[in-house]
Amino acid sequence: MGLESLIGGEGFLTTTVNSIVNWGRKNALWPMPFGTACCAIEMMATFSGRYDISRFGAEVVRFSPRQADLLIVSGRISLKMMPVLQKIYRQMPEPKWVISMGACASCGGVFDTYTLIQGVDQFMPVDVYVPGCPPRPESLLDALAEIQKIVGEDRFDSGKHGS
Amino acid sequence: MTPESMAVDMADTYSPCDALPAPLRSQVIDQIVHQGQLALHCTSADQRPMLEHFKTQQGYDFLVDVTAIDHLGMDRTERFEVVYVLRRTRENSHQFRLHVWLSEDSPNLPTVFDLWDSARWGERETHDMFGIVFDGNPDLRRLLMPEDYPGFPLLKDYPLRGMGERRQFPNVVPRGDQIVEEEPGDYPTSIGRGMHTPEYTEEVRRDSKPR
Ligand code: SF4
Repeated sequence: MGLESLIGGEGFLTTTVNSIVNWGRKNALWPMPFGTACCAIEMMATFSGRYDISRFGAEVVRFSPRQADLLIVSGRISLKMMPVLQKIYRQMPEPKWVISMGACASCGGVFDTYTLIQGVDQFMPVDVYVPGCPPRPESLLDALAEIQKIVGEDRFDSGKHGS
Repeated sequence: MTPESMAVDMADTYSPCDALPAPLRSQVIDQIVHQGQLALHCTSADQRPMLEHFKTQQGYDFLVDVTAIDHLGMDRTERFEVVYVLRRTRENSHQFRLHVWLSEDSPNLPTVFDLWDSARWGERETHDMFGIVFDGNPDLRRLLMPEDYPGFPLLKDYPLRGMGERRQFPNVVPRGDQIVEEEPGDYPTSIGRGMHTPEYTEEVRRDSKPR
């Protein structure tokens, strides 16, 4: 006997605020694509019809960080680009999550040179890494599923994301 | 067309050096044809008069590129060569390179942006990568590297992985409802230390041994 039967009638369900907020958040992620190199091509493929990220509720791609809550860093980040990336990360409203897509964003890849950041996670938080050079769209979708898991397990009022 | 006849076609016997006035022609140190491409060599003192002559008298109206070569450790009179690729686009179209020898002690050359506008960016890039100063160029800012970058990365004695510039940023982390800047910590994995060091190879070998 649940609470539903006491409330009586149809059109009611019981849940916690936490789970309903998380349910909403994780199924409506708004990605901000930060594509700086070849990985961005795979990211675009993921967004478009064939792989269709909208099946997972993340199709509202925003090119303004103010309107996004998922930053997808896909591509090489150079010395000149890192401050820009940090600025964009700061401009995103809380709560926010970051995917580091591809070998270059995660560790510099093969470009172990003077101009390339050897992993953006040295200078900003990263939630999910996607291995590959470039990762296939399936991998990015898998990363999205991982992000959804993370979002679902959060306490939305924990203060971790500023609440 | 056989490969031989193509090679003959490409080996152009025409040289703009022949039309130089005698005093300038005697200053041409070397004239090399490689793969059908002509290169003239001269010293830095003759760079400006030669380029002026090629622009005004011989109609080389397009400066394709300005770049440089660092001959550090090679058996050369001078360390640098600044390379001008000149092209005549009108009748008798032709392209060749002028290599200007430049010493390490005074890596300065007069600018040629008043002759070809495209020299502005070529000189900026050459300055950015090699530290060569083009006197008179009004806008010799860095072109590719960040403006506060300290080194000149295409010099042969500049380390491939830089001199620590890759670690110069603060770490931005969310704390409560703000974002704070912290010193980036030591990077705990092999990532970021450089993948091609002997230590890393050793580490990979060790870790990949069956336990
Ligand atoms: S990981 Fe590979 S595909 Fe992705 S940006 Fe780097 S080089 Fe390009």
